Amino acid sequence: MSDVAKKQKKSHFSWGKFKNKSEWLIYLFPFAIGVIIFTLYPIVNVFMISFKEGFDYISKDFTAWGLGNYLYVLKDPYFIQALKNTFSYVFIVIPVSTCLAVVIATLLNQKIKFSGLFQTAYFLPMVTSTIAIGFAWRFMFNYKSGIINYLLSLIGVNAIDWLQNATYNFTALCVYGIWAILPFTIILLLSGLQNIDPMYYTAAKVDGAGPLRIFFRVTIPLLAPTIFLVIMVNTISCFKVFNELFPLFQGPGIANNLFTVVYYIYYQFRVLIPSRYGYASAAAVMLFLIIFVFTMFQRFVEKKLKN
Amino acid sequence: MKVTIQNLTKQFATVTAVNDFSAVIESGELIALLGPSGCGKSTMLNMISGILPVTEGKIFFDEEDVTDLTPEKRGVGLVFQNYALYPHMTVLENICFPLEIKKVKKEERIARAKEMAKLVHVDMLLDRKPSQLSGGQQQRVAIARALVKQPRILLLDEPLSNLDARLRIEMREEIRRIQQETGVTTVFVTHDQEEAMSISDHIVLMKDGFLQQMARPQELYDEPANCFVADFLGTPPINKTYGVVRNGAIVLDGGCEVKTSLVKDIEEGHEVILSMRAESLIIDEEEQACLGTIDEVYVMGKEILAYVTLGNTKVRAYIPAERHFEKGQTVKIGLRNRGVFVFDKETGERLA
Repeated sequence: MSDVAKKQKKSHFSWGKFKNKSEWLIYLFPFAIGVIIFTLYPIVNVFMISFKEGFDYISKDFTAWGLGNYLYVLKDPYFIQALKNTFSYVFIVIPVSTCLAVVIATLLNQKIKFSGLFQTAYFLPMVTSTIAIGFAWRFMFNYKSGIINYLLSLIGVNAIDWLQNATYNFTALCVYGIWAILPFTIILLLSGLQNIDPMYYTAAKVDGAGPLRIFFRVTIPLLAPTIFLVIMVNTISCFKVFNELFPLFQGPGIANNLFTVVYYIYYQFRVLIPSRYGYASAAAVMLFLIIFVFTMFQRFVEKKLKN
Repeated sequence: MKVTIQNLTKQFATVTAVNDFSAVIESGELIALLGPSGCGKSTMLNMISGILPVTEGKIFFDEEDVTDLTPEKRGVGLVFQNYALYPHMTVLENICFPLEIKKVKKEERIARAKEMAKLVHVDMLLDRKPSQLSGGQQQRVAIARALVKQPRILLLDEPLSNLDARLRIEMREEIRRIQQETGVTTVFVTHDQEEAMSISDHIVLMKDGFLQQMARPQELYDEPANCFVADFLGTPPINKTYGVVRNGAIVLDGGCEVKTSLVKDIEEGHEVILSMRAESLIIDEEEQACLGTIDEVYVMGKEILAYVTLGNTKVRAYIPAERHFEKGQTVKIGLRNRGVFVFDKETGERLA
């Protein structure tokens, strides 16, 4: 830096040496404030509240520190139900949506006719409002006039009450969940596919490999890092299944059979009066731990597979 | 295996990449497809491999017409410019992969792969991933993978372009050794004339999609078919001068008269290119062809490279290191019989 520039800089920042050395604070400040108020403080607060027994949010009174909230939540049949539903949801939606997305992305990546049209069609859910799409699915799932029951009737299956029957509404939730998660997954996988050098395919073809062998021995292994990424991201978001309940069922299904963990948190916090912040926070911390353990486990598996 | 190429043409939309190309590659030879970038040599290779369909013409492997066959049915082994080793497979798995596709039994394919690895000297690296190999080692593995299925022909696309200068010399000798040991007919693409000259049995020189000349390396150097071939080969590049035939001599632009017997069959007044290799000019020779002026002198160690002005053209010439010349000195210049060519100025065809 020239002397002139140095002088200019000094006159510009007249707060002295301290200011010069901690200039980065100024740039960090606006963002840090947001993060501290809206992210860090709530997280810490939730952890604190989860250990405060009999906590009253308004008066900030509580009876004692301890694990009382956790013990209550773990004994609550609704929470057990919520855990069951959430795990089932994750273990159905993740494998099915990932496999579907890999196949669809591979097809979209081919030089096929109308691939532009298909791409637009598949990305439509991403740019449309969740509520609008949810209502569309509600119409499709309709017992009497829905297109799904109509299509099933064509192959001789009796009409199913997808939304109002406790046996089937979980299936409806999963179908909707898979469909809603696909576009994001496909976009990521497509970009992963486009990063694979076509020379690998040519090399395999010259050696006489068929399309299936190329898919399983070349494409999938080369796409594996992206597949792991989408599984990880989608697992996290599926553990937080909640929004999907409202457009389809306006709540947790028939006789509360579709409780999910996040819905349970919402239920303790918002549905019950007076609100039970302690139980909601304890459930939230447990969900955090579940997701944390799962993500660590996935990373461990990914590393193992890499070597 | 002998390869016969008949009137091969390849058109991409409006561009003709290969134009009416005919050649015969003898069995067991190492052939270089040489030419400047964009001359159609890679297109040529891809048509031999079957990756690219031909527009017109035929390709025969021995007596079999393979023009419409897919690469795997032709039985070609291909080495890509970037090697295209599968990054998720070990060296052994990479070499085994073509055999796995052919449904060769596991014990046999491992045995064959190991044998091939030994031939190309990567048998110490079988458990490594491609990312843990150097460029030269990757190249060796790629060659092993191409050869393990015992192809009828081995094709290499710019095999040495991704290697540093020293490895390049080592690997080209290796390619030659592997080719000799296996006896497989091999075609490789290169834009480096030195690479092509040093290891190939025949060189196919191309320009703008046309075959310029196919010959043994020395023949290509000593008897170029046209001006382009003479220009393309040799370091430093051949000296190119323009002139007109008058009274049994060539009068160069700028008035310098070069006496040479080469013009005896060329009609008077013909506009020609006189091309002379730097080693074919002899400075201070008794049997004088023309007079020139020393312009600049560069000491190279074992010899001296001099720039000499003939007429208004500067030419390069080698002088023995023990001789001494001053800048601006006028010298008699003689011409050897080898390395001096006369081409037609319009067509570039060789006249003498």
